[in-house]
Amino acid sequence: MTSISTRRIKALPIIIWGYIAWSLVPVLIAVAYSFNDGRSRTVWKGFSFRWWFGDKYASVFHDDSMRQAIVNSLVLATTTMLIVTPLGLALAIGSHRLRGKSATAVQGMTSIPLITPEIVVGAALLLTFTRLFSGIPLGFPAQLLGNVTFSISAVVVIVRARLVSIGSSFEEAARDLGATRLQALRYVLMPMLWPSIVASFVVVFATVIDDFVITSFLSAGVESETVPLRIYSSVKGGATPALNALATLLVATTFTALTIGVFGLSFWRKRHGETGGFKSALADLTRMGE
Amino acid sequence: MERRDFLKTLFATTGGIIIGPSILAACGGTTTSSSTGLIIGTPDSPVTLPLVGEPIADGLTNEGGTIEILNWADYTNPEVIADFEKAFGVTVKQSIYDNEDAAIAKLRNGTLKPDLIIGMTDTAIARLMAAELIQPLNHSYIPNKTNLLTGLQNPYYDQGAQYTMAQFIYGNGIGYRKDRIDPSELAAQGYDAMWNSAYNGKLAVIDSYRDTISLALLQAGVTDVNSGDADILAAAKENLIRLRDATSPKVDIISYQELPAGNRDIAYMWSGDILLAPFYLPEGTTADVLGFWYPDTTITANDFFCIPMTSAKPVVAHQMINYLLDNDVAVKNQSYVGYQPALTSVTAESLINSGVIPESLVDAVVDDTKYQAGKRITSLTPETDALWNDVWTTFTAG
Amino acid sequence: MNKAARIWAALAAPGAFWLLFFFAVPFYAVACVAFGSVDPIFRDAIPQWNPLNWSFGEFNAVFSSVTSGPLRGVFARTIVYVISAMIICFAIGFPVAYYLARHAGKRRMLLLLLIIAPFWVNYLMRMLAWVNLLSPSGLFSRFVGIFGVQYNWLDGSPITVILGLVYGYIPFLILPLYATLERLDWRLVEAARDLGATSRQAFRVVTVPMAKAGVAAAAILIALPMFGDYYTNDLLSRSPKTEMLGNQIDFYINNSSQPQRGAVLVIMLSTLLLVALSWYLRSTSRIGKERVR
Repeated sequence: MTSISTRRIKALPIIIWGYIAWSLVPVLIAVAYSFNDGRSRTVWKGFSFRWWFGDKYASVFHDDSMRQAIVNSLVLATTTMLIVTPLGLALAIGSHRLRGKSATAVQGMTSIPLITPEIVVGAALLLTFTRLFSGIPLGFPAQLLGNVTFSISAVVVIVRARLVSIGSSFEEAARDLGATRLQALRYVLMPMLWPSIVASFVVVFATVIDDFVITSFLSAGVESETVPLRIYSSVKGGATPALNALATLLVATTFTALTIGVFGLSFWRKRHGETGGFKSALADLTRMGE
Repeated sequence: MERRDFLKTLFATTGGIIIGPSILAACGGTTTSSSTGLIIGTPDSPVTLPLVGEPIADGLTNEGGTIEILNWADYTNPEVIADFEKAFGVTVKQSIYDNEDAAIAKLRNGTLKPDLIIGMTDTAIARLMAAELIQPLNHSYIPNKTNLLTGLQNPYYDQGAQYTMAQFIYGNGIGYRKDRIDPSELAAQGYDAMWNSAYNGKLAVIDSYRDTISLALLQAGVTDVNSGDADILAAAKENLIRLRDATSPKVDIISYQELPAGNRDIAYMWSGDILLAPFYLPEGTTADVLGFWYPDTTITANDFFCIPMTSAKPVVAHQMINYLLDNDVAVKNQSYVGYQPALTSVTAESLINSGVIPESLVDAVVDDTKYQAGKRITSLTPETDALWNDVWTTFTAG
Repeated sequence: MNKAARIWAALAAPGAFWLLFFFAVPFYAVACVAFGSVDPIFRDAIPQWNPLNWSFGEFNAVFSSVTSGPLRGVFARTIVYVISAMIICFAIGFPVAYYLARHAGKRRMLLLLLIIAPFWVNYLMRMLAWVNLLSPSGLFSRFVGIFGVQYNWLDGSPITVILGLVYGYIPFLILPLYATLERLDWRLVEAARDLGATSRQAFRVVTVPMAKAGVAAAAILIALPMFGDYYTNDLLSRSPKTEMLGNQIDFYINNSSQPQRGAVLVIMLSTLLLVALSWYLRSTSRIGKERVR
């Protein structure tokens, strides 16, 4: 029996490396093809920067609509991040401390978006913005509201996990020393919440810049086209490797944000004498603690 | 005069088909309705559309700034747009639509607010009018109107071209890869080729319910492509299901890219799309691999420009229409778009001589004679349209 | 209400009202559209804001299509695709998560990073990568062609769609699975082995019951978005033969003049998922209790 299970465990590294290859190699190939000299996304014709900036019209850095998509994505992700983080932070603190029926209601309401398929939220918001709140035009305003709505819960989850790990003893100590509740909140709790705020920033930014369904349902033509929308509409058919370059840029942006987040967080933890370091930082960003 | 009275008078005078809310109510129409009815012109009974709103005044100066056009993908040459931007000192932004019905819905609910619409067809005009979405044109801005084929200066769906200005003409046929399907073999099969299971997985139909259901009607020998007969449509539905089961078709409008790319072998297509296909051939492949079978009995159509009621730049919009109807500009435009301008100066010979069209695709050129001979798909009454939609949703639900 | 409670309520209020306005109200709007009336000319939906006047004609029409019409195939296909994709996801994901949690040793951090990476590679980028590989001139098609496999992957093949779903959603399964397995108290498994259980028995009697709730939660987490997925199918197939529920919703809401049908389908999807949701909530509350213990 032992031999079988040992053999089985020996097979596991093959599965895991196989999985990693399977999940990453296709993406790396797609990145590689952004440097294709030919027009094709599938037939290699040699290395060049033609589709990055060589081509005066059709490369990522020269194609107006691609540049517009990049700008739209960055603006949407940044604005959403700045609005949703304070909103979610306050909601997390408030709902964490509230007791009774209203607390249950608020907690229920914050957990439902986490498990609602995006298509349901997208369709619901589209019908709402075109028929009920018709003062909110589709395009950037609607996309912003939609993404904020869909991201609040993620912020609440991140902040709440931090609140649980902090506990209430620090605030109680401050209160014993004569601080008001607000002072305790402002001067004791807030500084300790920084990691979760940074994690929220990064997670929301990365989620929104990658978002397809809600952003797509609430878009209004090319003016509000983001990078994922652009990829979706051009994948089929004869788009050039510039599309691969555009997708590569998107992935690079996400990873840059995450890297900054991970290193920022592990640095913060080290400085404040908290354990966990790199791995906890990673956990914060992947919401593994959920 | 009340609008309803006006419509009744119009009904009497033009012979068009008017479906007003009152008639609907009498038929047991279930619910509240829009304030207007549908005015449907056909080649046999052309209509003059009632005037809603005023055309812009003569001699206004261009508003400048950015004009937003609603257009099909790859439907205007970017170089022509750049020339227009330079000549008129404006910036052009495009929003893309790929489905007339959905575009009308989005125009109605305000999702799309373009200044100029390119590429709508006869099947849209009645609803565009009923929803009061488009404004009358001022022809003094469009002297190039006289370049159009005579018939299209006065189309049956909009007598006097009060609201619309024709742009391209085309006919429906079957595009295919000559290197994979023998031309004589295809010609022998005709429409039946679309039902041939030998092409399973390599075949596509148009993502347009009117065109593809009409394919099923024409294959069965029914030439009334606006039929409201429930039995005929039920048969068309069965016919489409047979097509689906035999050939697993793709349903989209990108055969002009996928056929040259080699990802499919045969597709029901608008003739303009096959003329665009050579531009998407991979390096080293010539246009000889592309073929087009043009049926004796088929659908021909034209599309048109129109200006939304809410256009913020109506003057630039008029100027752009006129610009695109210029003989030289139109040819330059076609060299990218593939579709054929509805202009008297453009003939099959002129196109082949100028190298715009490869000789292998000469069958896809639609001249005035071919255009006149084709069947037209016109707007449908809501009841008939519901039947057609039912056929389509059954087909696409797999 | 005491002062403290007022402070907490004030903090929670903006976010809570936001969710009320932009999450709860839209669901009401969907119902008002689904149970409203239809414009006879444009077939567009006319929402009925008063629930007392709701009409269920369209709902019944769609429902009968689901039970005996064209939508029956769509529902059946969606369920089959999602369940198949889930089974494959688990077949691949469980060993990966298990190894990572139990045996990765000093390489664990590296492996963890590599396994987290696809989680943050844009979904559409990953689909783009496969569309390129699977197209007839793509590397994968050419590679398997060497072995005589001639298969047009992108021609409306259910296999491609299911594998596409697996590829797309598996990262979202592996991480929660890993988190669950890592938290387990493996000393219990060792104790079982010491008491004479075979590895298989220990797995069945100790590991499975401990991990069950977390695994169920992970399963629900990927099943829910899969049920609403339309873009995977759209990019890898776009044939009526693989039409899923999400495609129909997208079609009716975005690409047709009949959003009412889309609204009805959204309600049906939500109801379908509500069942799954209650299971999820039960399993998470169980996890919570276990953690407290």
